[in-house]
Amino acid sequence: MKRLTLLLLLLPITLFVQAQPLRVAVAANAQFVMVQLKTAFQKKTGIEVESIVNSSGKLTTQIQQGAPYDIFLSADMEYPQTLHKAGLTVAAPVIYAYGSLVLWTLTDLPLSTNLKILSDPAVRHVAIANPATAPYGEAAVSLLKHKALLDQVQPKVVYGESIAQVNQYILSGAAEVGFTAKSVVLDPSLTKRGHWIDLPTTGYSPIAQGVVVLKRTTIPKEAEQFMAFLRSPQARRILQQFGYH
Amino acid sequence: MPIDWEPIWLTLRLAGITTFILLLIGVPLAGWLALSKFRLKPVIEAIISLPLVLPPSVVGFYLLLAFSPTSAFGAWLLKTVNLQLVFSFQGLVVASLLYSLPFMVHPIQAGLENLPVSWREASYTLGQSRRRTLWRVLLPNCKPALLTGIVLTFAHTIGEFGLVLMIGGNLPGQTRVASIAIYDEVELLHFETAHAYAALLLGLSFAILLLVYAINKRVTV
Repeated sequence: MKRLTLLLLLLPITLFVQAQPLRVAVAANAQFVMVQLKTAFQKKTGIEVESIVNSSGKLTTQIQQGAPYDIFLSADMEYPQTLHKAGLTVAAPVIYAYGSLVLWTLTDLPLSTNLKILSDPAVRHVAIANPATAPYGEAAVSLLKHKALLDQVQPKVVYGESIAQVNQYILSGAAEVGFTAKSVVLDPSLTKRGHWIDLPTTGYSPIAQGVVVLKRTTIPKEAEQFMAFLRSPQARRILQQFGYH
Repeated sequence: MPIDWEPIWLTLRLAGITTFILLLIGVPLAGWLALSKFRLKPVIEAIISLPLVLPPSVVGFYLLLAFSPTSAFGAWLLKTVNLQLVFSFQGLVVASLLYSLPFMVHPIQAGLENLPVSWREASYTLGQSRRRTLWRVLLPNCKPALLTGIVLTFAHTIGEFGLVLMIGGNLPGQTRVASIAIYDEVELLHFETAHAYAALLLGLSFAILLLVYAINKRVTV
């Protein structure tokens, strides 16, 4: 018992020994590219990065409630703009990437940019990120509208709470097809899973994604280094590998 | 902000249907567990109690895989009864049945086990069958336990979130229950609407529990 008490008393000490990592809140669509960015940044600067993945909406709410993040990589410009207006960021959001949509399936169904496959009876469910909270979901809905397919496809649509859940639905086979971010299907671990097609940005606007440093950061120097890294040719290359431009 | 009542009704419907079906399943199951001398009883009890300790995400993850049309079980359901358990209200009912089972079985089983053995023996001696004894002698004497089971099951199903999040797909009128609606509204930064839903659920839950404790006080065992 005494030993246990001692252990419990010593536990918090270990938390203080480590240098504080840079905490980066990441929208779900960028979770895979973030892994690579993190590794490259750590190699370059020796600064340790912790990423927290969630939908942009939820991260924004958490930040408003004082979540201890240093940087926020959103899936759009609106959420970081909201935080900026509330005086929670160091500066206005800057665009770090433009994302695009793909249609993805694990089935053998033929995919084409006219999205005809969605009307096929073999497709029972079409997974889309919640358009109210996920920019990629919003883009998918506007594309369906543009193709005049929305009314027809609506009964088959199921909503993931973020792109991450859309991927879950597709990978578990619960939904036959789904609209996800190109950065997802370009991840090395997923390139061999099923097949996907690019959706040209004629029916939706390319998704501008913003990044902000949060005012509450305790390590502004490190945060600034990460922002500079995002602008570096090396980071641009990594982002391009994942289909961002 | 106008409040959309649909998620609230959906939650109440899910909780009501789940509670009703679980009552039909839970009473005989609790009766059997309380009275049987079966050697593998602890195994059955452990299985029934799993949802008490497992995170909803674990249950949800396995159900998502099991219910998916690409799984053997999901494909079989689709082919034989044309029933799809992912992204459907029926799926939420099946999931809730599994997830709330211990909340129905435990109180009833405990209630039955706490009754004096002599009652049971007297009934058997007077030539009554086990089933009749359970229905006519034992159950009427553990009404509070039954009520507790019913209420806990209902309340627990109202509070379901993680499981629904995993297999629901957020469909209005199908799987967008109140807990999910709150989550969405918070994400949309509509705190007033979230407050309205949350306060409704809080009030509802409190009212249900108050009713139980009040009735329990009046029922003499």
